Amino acid sequence: MNSRRMVGAGIAALTAATLLLTGCSGTDGSSDEAGATTGTLDFYTDKAAWEPDFDELNAASEEQAEITLNTTGYSDAAQYDAFIKQSFRTQKSPGLFTWHTGDSLKQLVDEGLVAETTDLWTKAIDEGWATEGLRAEYTIDDKQYCVPMNIAYWVMYYNKNIFEEHGIEKPTTWEELDAAAGTLKDAGITPYYQTSTLFTFQWFQQLVAGTDPELYKGLSTGEVKYTDPEIVEIMDIWLDQHEKGWFSDAGSTVDPAVGLKQGDFAMINFGSFFNGSLDGAGMVSGEDYDMFVIPAVNADLGTTPVAVESGPLCVAENSKQKDLGLAYSEWWMSADAQTAWNAARGDVAFNPKATVNDPMLADLGTTVADGEHELFTRYFEATPTPILTVALEQFGAFNANPGDPMPFLEAIQAEADKYWADQE
Amino acid sequence: MAVLQTPERERTVGGLPEAAHRPPRRKTPYQAAARGFIAPGVLMVAVLLYLPLLWTTFLSFTEYNGLGDPEWVGLDNYVEMFDDPSFVGSLLNTLLWVAGTLLIPVGVGLALALLTWNLPGGIWLRLPFLIPYAISGIGVGVIWSFILSANGALDQALAMIGIADPPRWLVDAPLNTVVMIIAASWQGVGVNALLFTIGLQSIPKEPLEAARVDGATGVRLFGSILWPMLRPLTAVVVGLSIVASLKTFDIVLSMTKGGPGRASETLALTMYRETFVNSDYGLGSAIAVFLSVVTLVASVLYLRQQLSQKHEM
Repeated sequence: MNSRRMVGAGIAALTAATLLLTGCSGTDGSSDEAGATTGTLDFYTDKAAWEPDFDELNAASEEQAEITLNTTGYSDAAQYDAFIKQSFRTQKSPGLFTWHTGDSLKQLVDEGLVAETTDLWTKAIDEGWATEGLRAEYTIDDKQYCVPMNIAYWVMYYNKNIFEEHGIEKPTTWEELDAAAGTLKDAGITPYYQTSTLFTFQWFQQLVAGTDPELYKGLSTGEVKYTDPEIVEIMDIWLDQHEKGWFSDAGSTVDPAVGLKQGDFAMINFGSFFNGSLDGAGMVSGEDYDMFVIPAVNADLGTTPVAVESGPLCVAENSKQKDLGLAYSEWWMSADAQTAWNAARGDVAFNPKATVNDPMLADLGTTVADGEHELFTRYFEATPTPILTVALEQFGAFNANPGDPMPFLEAIQAEADKYWADQE
Repeated sequence: MAVLQTPERERTVGGLPEAAHRPPRRKTPYQAAARGFIAPGVLMVAVLLYLPLLWTTFLSFTEYNGLGDPEWVGLDNYVEMFDDPSFVGSLLNTLLWVAGTLLIPVGVGLALALLTWNLPGGIWLRLPFLIPYAISGIGVGVIWSFILSANGALDQALAMIGIADPPRWLVDAPLNTVVMIIAASWQGVGVNALLFTIGLQSIPKEPLEAARVDGATGVRLFGSILWPMLRPLTAVVVGLSIVASLKTFDIVLSMTKGGPGRASETLALTMYRETFVNSDYGLGSAIAVFLSVVTLVASVLYLRQQLSQKHEM
């Protein structure tokens, strides 16, 4: 090999490495043409388990909107969030992606990273596809961003066989719920499910909002402190229930759906998407399990508070597929799309005009809209992220080692103080 | 390779060595080609290793949530890090991991190697210990969670022999960290035993036989002959163990997620929590820098001490 060829080979090696490092992507069949409103739309979600449902929906979206979703599902939420944030800095920001409402959505909006959807919401409200209450969840500075992917109400699921065996009816008051828990405990059955990781907040959320919805809102705005006497009093109720032995072992790693099925506990406070998990565990909706709206702790409240969560579908402002993403979002909100989605996924529909197949979920949708219930934002979305992280850990620690609630509340308040000071 | 041999006429000029005549900075086509070949590797190291290191260090002095631009805050993240009582707890847990993984996987690995290296068929005694090494850290975590969770396999086994109220293995601290160290040891003993066995087999026979002729056996033989001669390998095993334990992450994530609360968190988990759960990239980077410095300093100090002892021998 002569010297010129040697130099050539060296340059070739360098070039190959540079190409490798910079990454050379080929075409993936998606519609990158700016302004296109039909074609294949790249969709990213942290709900990897739902990927088959989104694929199933493609038949309807192709027929009705001429759009096919090319879904990429992530199963790790933290990894997914980091990926989405990084993607805004690249040429590949997603045409459609799932995100979170509350503080997380506001962060994206503040940076101008998500496309406005005010026109879509105006049309949806005019058509009766969504409620004003839901629009408020997607409103930042009088404008709307993203559209609702799903909606879930946080209710109490129970094992029907256990309830029937012990002659327990669906509780309609807090006293009846307490009595049911007492009866179950006396019969040697643990009344409630609990855990020490992630889903540790729901009982706190239920106790606070069910006592005083304004107190709950105050926590999310910083006007109420976690160490205020009203909150401590509520935590004492929780502690009292712990001491009565009403909660399952916080260290158990048994799948909660399986736990309810095999009677490890009789009730579990969860989002209405839990139907899918229970069905998957082999329970039959309405036969083996049922649900009820958790009565308010404070019987004097005019309406019964019900926690609601809604996960958004968003479009990146600088995406090449922005128009395609918005076209899909518009179709997504329609009654036809939501009926098809419900058939694929089986969930409560945010669109009142959509058909819901599961009678239990259809009834729940009707119940919460009867004027006797008031929706409030789930703790997960209502609480700023840094405070939420600490609160989830502290409630988990409280569940694992119930005792004087003050150290747990002080730890959360310390983070809250830091967060609200930074906002000033 | 023949093609790379320098021709005679290039190596000498007028009968004198070429270095005496050639200008020191003169480039040959071979040097240019060599640079071309080296460049991809250098580029990869720079882009994949040095650049992230510099970027992480820069981020540690900023406030950054992954969106927009980082905002310079000086040493605030480092002050916040040391002010946080949970960080101190995390640091103590990490030190417990370092001590525990030196004591169990290294200690038991050495014992296993010593007890089996001279036995006929000793490989069959060591082999079962090596099998868990093929499993990922997350896999080990999942298996041991099944064993140690409330009413898990261990609790049920204990109930069968009449222990109805067993300890809460993964709930109570520091017990949860201790049982996780045992779980990690289950995976790590085999490979350490393998390394020590290789070390023992590489010891020359002459000094061993001489020691035996002089009557050295058992503890005496180990303390005076085997242990000193194993030192180079022990330095490597212990050094690797220290580094691995300082960055303990996967097994804790899969078994307790650092909980309950933050009771079993390690520094690597704290870094992950701040960066990816809280989106506080600045604080997460500060912890990453701290962890890197601790790992580097611990490794350098340990290896330097070991090397100096070797020179003294």
